[in-house]
Amino acid sequence: MHIAAIFGLGMAANGCTTPKTAAQISLKDLYDFKAKGNVTLLHMCDLHAHIKPLYWREPSTLISAPNLVGTPGFLCGEAFAKHYGLEPSSLDAYFDTYMDFGTLAKKFGKMGGIAHMKTYLDRVRAERGNENVLFLDSGDTWQGTGVALKTGGEAIVKAQNYLGVDVMVGHWEFTYGKERVKELIGMLDAKFISQNIVGNDPFADDYEELIFEPYTIEERGGAKIGIIGQSFPFTSTANPKEFTQGWSFGLRLESLQTYVDELRDEHKVDCVVVLSHDGFSVDQEVARQVHGIDFILSGHTHDPSPKPITINNTVIVIAGSHGKYIGRLDIDIKDGKVKDYEYKLVPIASKMIPADPTGVKLVDELYAPFAAEFYEVLGKTKNMLYKRDTFFSTFDQLINDAIMDEMKCDISFTPGYRWGTTVLAGEDILMDNVYEMCGITYPNVYTFELQGQKIASLLEDIADNVFNANPLYQQGGDMSRLGGVTYDIAVANKAGHRISNLKVGGKPIDLNKTYVVSSWGGNLQNAGSNLRKDKTRPVYDIVRDYIKREKIVDVSNKGNVTVLDYDCGCPVKGSRGC
Amino acid sequence: MQRRDFFKTLGTAAVVGATIPVMSFAAETKKKGPNAFTYEQALDVITGGKKPVKSDKVHLKVPEIAENGAVVPVTVEVDSPMTDSDYVKAIHIFATKNNNVRCIDANLTPANGKAMLSTRVKLGGTQDVAALIELSNGEFLIAAQSVKVTIGGCG
Repeated sequence: MHIAAIFGLGMAANGCTTPKTAAQISLKDLYDFKAKGNVTLLHMCDLHAHIKPLYWREPSTLISAPNLVGTPGFLCGEAFAKHYGLEPSSLDAYFDTYMDFGTLAKKFGKMGGIAHMKTYLDRVRAERGNENVLFLDSGDTWQGTGVALKTGGEAIVKAQNYLGVDVMVGHWEFTYGKERVKELIGMLDAKFISQNIVGNDPFADDYEELIFEPYTIEERGGAKIGIIGQSFPFTSTANPKEFTQGWSFGLRLESLQTYVDELRDEHKVDCVVVLSHDGFSVDQEVARQVHGIDFILSGHTHDPSPKPITINNTVIVIAGSHGKYIGRLDIDIKDGKVKDYEYKLVPIASKMIPADPTGVKLVDELYAPFAAEFYEVLGKTKNMLYKRDTFFSTFDQLINDAIMDEMKCDISFTPGYRWGTTVLAGEDILMDNVYEMCGITYPNVYTFELQGQKIASLLEDIADNVFNANPLYQQGGDMSRLGGVTYDIAVANKAGHRISNLKVGGKPIDLNKTYVVSSWGGNLQNAGSNLRKDKTRPVYDIVRDYIKREKIVDVSNKGNVTVLDYDCGCPVKGSRGC
Repeated sequence: MQRRDFFKTLGTAAVVGATIPVMSFAAETKKKGPNAFTYEQALDVITGGKKPVKSDKVHLKVPEIAENGAVVPVTVEVDSPMTDSDYVKAIHIFATKNNNVRCIDANLTPANGKAMLSTRVKLGGTQDVAALIELSNGEFLIAAQSVKVTIGGCG
C-alpha cells in the first residue's frame, strides 16, 4: 500500500442511527457516569502544555509488528471504531479517530483547554466530595507550546496548580534540565514521584540513590492509596543526555515489584496504583511481569482508550493527549481490597463544556507577554496540517520542506514525536502553531555530512525502535519523517532487513556517497561529520521564515513511504488489512 | 560479625569490585589472538565443546535498551549453595557480537559465599549479552538477553 495522508475520508454512515450534532448531545451525555464506590481517581496524560483548546486529529496510520496489530495501543481509524463500537460521525468518533475530521471539526469545535477541563474536574469534585477525589498526571505536561518554552515550563506549573494536580511523573519535563526541573517542582503544588530514576555518577552523593520519592500514600474516601511513580524509562536515549547527566532511567521492574510489596505488606495500603509514562503497550508488559498492581494510569503513547484493559488482574487506562480527555475512575475499596470500579474517558468538548472564567483569565495572563509574537499570522494552509501517523504527516512535511529550502540539503530528518497540533484546511497558520509543532529546548537544525551506508543503517535502527515485536524494545514514537527520501518498508521483516528501494532525490541511494543531511530534535549530528556550524538555526525560526515567504502553503498529501506488507493504515487484529 | 561471615562478605565484595571489563585468557587460548574467536568458538574454548544448559538458576540483569553503549551495567547472580561440594567455579560474560566477545572471566570459590558478579561492558552495537556459568561438577549453565544499542529514537 502506498501510504497517503487521508483527508476527511469518512466512514460510510450505516444509516441505522442519526449521529447527534454538538447541539443534540447534551452536557448530561458527556457527564453521564454510573458513580461507584468511595474513591475517584481523575487522570490526564500528555497535555503537552496545551492550556488552550486546540484541534488534534488522531492517526490515519498506526502500523506495528504483526503480533501487535489491532491490539489496544495499535488501533486507529476504522479499526478503532470497530473495536470500541463507535458510531460514525459521532462526537466520540471525532475525538478518537481521524475520520471525517475536517467536517466534524466545524461541527464539534475545539478540544481541551484548562478552563474547560477545570469545569469538569470541579463538577466531579462537587459530586463526589473533594476529600474522595485524587487528580493524577502521567507527565509530558510541561513541554509542547510556545508559552511553555518561553517561561521555562513555569506557565504550565501554574496551570497544574490551578487544575489541582495531586501527583505527577515526567518525561519531556526533564528537557528543561535537572536544575530547572527541581526549581519547577519547588513551584508545583503536586508531588513529583519516580521509582525508576537513580543516580549513576559514582562521584556524586546520590550515586545509586533515588532522585525522587518512589511513591506516595494518599488517603481518600477512608482508603489508603499507594501511588508509585514511573517516569519515561528511555529518557536518556530519546532526548539529549546532557539534560539528565548523572541520572539513570530504565523500567526497573524489580524495584517496582519491591515497592508494590512494601506498600501492601508494610504500609497496608488498600489499593496500589502505578502512575506511569511507560507507554500503553509497555505497561501491558509491566502488568504481565509485576504482580499486585490494581491500576496502571498510563501515558506517553497518546492512545485514547475508551475502555480499560485488564491483564493479570491489573486494570490499565490511558487518557489520550493534548488535554482532549479526562479519565474518570471510580473505585469501590473495602477492607483492604478493590471490590469494583467504573471507568469513563470523558472528551473535553470545549464547545459544550463551559469555560471556568478563572481559567480563561489565567490563560490570557500567561499568554499576554508573548501575544504579539504568538498571534502573528504567518500564512495560510490549503490543506489540513496535522501531526501523528507512523511514517508521514503534512505538518512534518512542511517542516522538512522549510529546512530543505533553506539548507539546500539532500535529506532532512524531522523527529517522529507524537505531540503537535492540527491546522484545518484554509485556516491561518500562527507562530503559536509553529511552536506547537517544534517548541523544544534543543531546537537547532544541524547540517552535516553522512555516508549513504550510515543513512541506510540508521533508518533500519529507527525502524526497529518503532516496529520491534517486543514492546519492551520499542521507544513509543513513530518513524522519523524524511525529506528528499522515498523508501519501501516491510514492517514484519527482521531487524536490519525492513527497508528497500531507498532513494535520495529520486535516485537509488549510493552507499559510498556522502550526502548533506539536516536534522533536528535528535542526536543524528553526532553520527555525521563536517558540521556546518554557520548554518545552525532553531527549527521554529526556519519554519516561520518559510511560511512567510510562501504565504499560502500547499503540502501534498502524498506520503513518501510505501508499506509492502500491509494494505491499509489502520489494520485490524490478525490481518494485514482493514 | 562472625569471622566466616566476614570472609563471605569480603569474597562477594572482591568479585563485585571487578567493575572493569578484564580479559584474562587461559593458557589454552594462546594459539589464537583474542579477536579471532566468534562467540561460539569462545564458548567452546571454555566448555571444551560441552553444550551449556539454559537455566533459570542464572539471573542475568541487563537493560533492554542501553542508556549508553559504552557502559552497559551487567549483573549475574546464580542460585547456588556455594558449599565445597556444590559451588559456582566461574562466571564468564560475553558480548556476543563485539570484535572481542569475551568481556570478563571471574573465578570463584565456596569462600565467596555468593555467586554474584556486577560489572559494566562496552557494546559495539545491538546484540545478545550472555553469561556462561561453570559449576564445580563440571557442568555449564547459560543465560542470554538482547541489549539494544541505539542512536536514539523519538519523543
